[in-house]
Amino acid sequence: MWLWYDWRAAAVADDNGNIVDEEIWDGHYPEHAIIERLQIIAKGGMISEAKVLAERFPEATVLLHGEEKLPDADWPFPDDEAQASADAAAISMSKLGVAMAAGDPDKRLEYLVRASDEMRTAHLTMEARLVEWVVLFLPDARFGADRSALGKTVSESDDLQMLAKKLDAELPPVGPSKSEWKALREFGEGVSTFRGRLDRLENAVRTLATEHLPSNSMLIGPLLAARLCVEAHGRMRFARLPSGTVQVLGAEKAFFNHLKTGAPPPKHGHIFMHPWISRSPKWIRGKISRTLASKISIAAKIDAFEGTPWTEADVELVELRIEEIRKNFPTPQSRLNR
Amino acid sequence: MAKNNRGRKEDLSWAVRKDGRALWTINANPRSSVYGESLRRFSGVEYRRWDPSRSKLGAAMIRTKRNPALLLPYEGDTILYLGAGHGTSVSHLHDHLCGQDNHQGGRLVCVDLAPRCLRDLTHLADSRPGLIPVLGDARKFSAWGVLMPRKVRWLFQDVSQAGQVEIFIKAANRFLADDGIGLLSLKAASERWTGDDEAQVFANVATALEQAGLTVEESIDLAGFEDNHMLFEGRKEENS
Repeated sequence: MWLWYDWRAAAVADDNGNIVDEEIWDGHYPEHAIIERLQIIAKGGMISEAKVLAERFPEATVLLHGEEKLPDADWPFPDDEAQASADAAAISMSKLGVAMAAGDPDKRLEYLVRASDEMRTAHLTMEARLVEWVVLFLPDARFGADRSALGKTVSESDDLQMLAKKLDAELPPVGPSKSEWKALREFGEGVSTFRGRLDRLENAVRTLATEHLPSNSMLIGPLLAARLCVEAHGRMRFARLPSGTVQVLGAEKAFFNHLKTGAPPPKHGHIFMHPWISRSPKWIRGKISRTLASKISIAAKIDAFEGTPWTEADVELVELRIEEIRKNFPTPQSRLNR
Repeated sequence: MAKNNRGRKEDLSWAVRKDGRALWTINANPRSSVYGESLRRFSGVEYRRWDPSRSKLGAAMIRTKRNPALLLPYEGDTILYLGAGHGTSVSHLHDHLCGQDNHQGGRLVCVDLAPRCLRDLTHLADSRPGLIPVLGDARKFSAWGVLMPRKVRWLFQDVSQAGQVEIFIKAANRFLADDGIGLLSLKAASERWTGDDEAQVFANVATALEQAGLTVEESIDLAGFEDNHMLFEGRKEENS
């Protein structure tokens, strides 16, 4: 005995393919009801007609339409009208699915990270240009570490004289024309607004990453966690990557060059940004990268499967391990002695 | 049929026409272009140019050594398209299969996994009745298979992911009717690296298809339009 069902009907056939009984959903096929049924089937569930027949024929093997084991029989396939309703419902379901994609934190994180990258590039280029521009008119101005405030300083000055006073520089014999100064000031304004936008973008990345990747955000900081997750194409895939891949994520060029030409493999990709690696001496960066990458992939698994997030105590354990590596290799090892 | 029919006009179906080396289909949604292709009138009927460098099916119809019409489904039929992408090929197939307001009564079920692609497809479906976009995994038949009550005579797959040949064989078993045509667009680089060169990869695929009960009628090299791609045309043997 076989019990066949699709989104609309269920039927029972004996082993020779004769239909013994059938239940067909009678109705005008309202769209929301069809969608509900299609969703039940997509999740592997049974529609009510199938349940009724399963009770009536407990010995029958229940199989969804299309299963290979089902024998050929005159199953009650939907007529044209029913099929048209199902098609319309399928289109609505697709639209719903597309709309739901906006709720996908992986997608949102990707846009945030990419946007902040672009914003950062634009901001840095403009800032460098502004510095050069100001220095052209005020050759003895010194900014030191205060480059980032220059945009604001320029935009708040009424003319070059005022700017020179603020920057403690001497006025040159020739200055910019009125329109030129206006352009320069507005450019400075642009630089400082970009700065603010960049900060807000990164704050948004931090908020979302802390929520979406709590363990990794605790371990390596939300910005780096977000970048790795985006580079891995989503949290679930991130969790499935081996830690060796996590270690070189972002160093694809060097890595494939290594595969192609046999050049030394990269020791680190994006994780180099972490101070544990970038502030460590060269000879232990590879060792620390390996350790850190393996911890990151553990944290990624906790994040993806929504386990108990790591706390500071867990991160301290990792830090102890890093300290140990630093202590064990205080000087570079000679390649000859290995 | 003459070879090298450069400059010769030829109708491949009621809606598809070959004009020299260019393909055109009657626009099922007049005065609108889907992906920026050019529109042109031939004796009062508006056609859309089928860009072979944007559509692997279009490329195959130009590259094939046989009659390109053999690659098309029957008009008014139900077909299944796995990995529909942004709807370039799909729109031309729809022109041929359904026509304006679906007067041919065709049904084109196209499955894709990416919401971004589906967004374009659902837009397309609004103006093209008969086109049914499905957001789903081409491998998970049970999620959308109920939309295909009967087997189809034409199946196309272009998913560019590892294991695409296995997906194709399973899909052909499940959805393709006897004597139906299954087209597999294969990117060599998407298959797992086995150390074989490209020709060997393609040969292995052909063997796998034959073993699965699909007679490989032609394998069409799409070089020039789509590098490292091969389009396999398989016909399902009866009683397989």
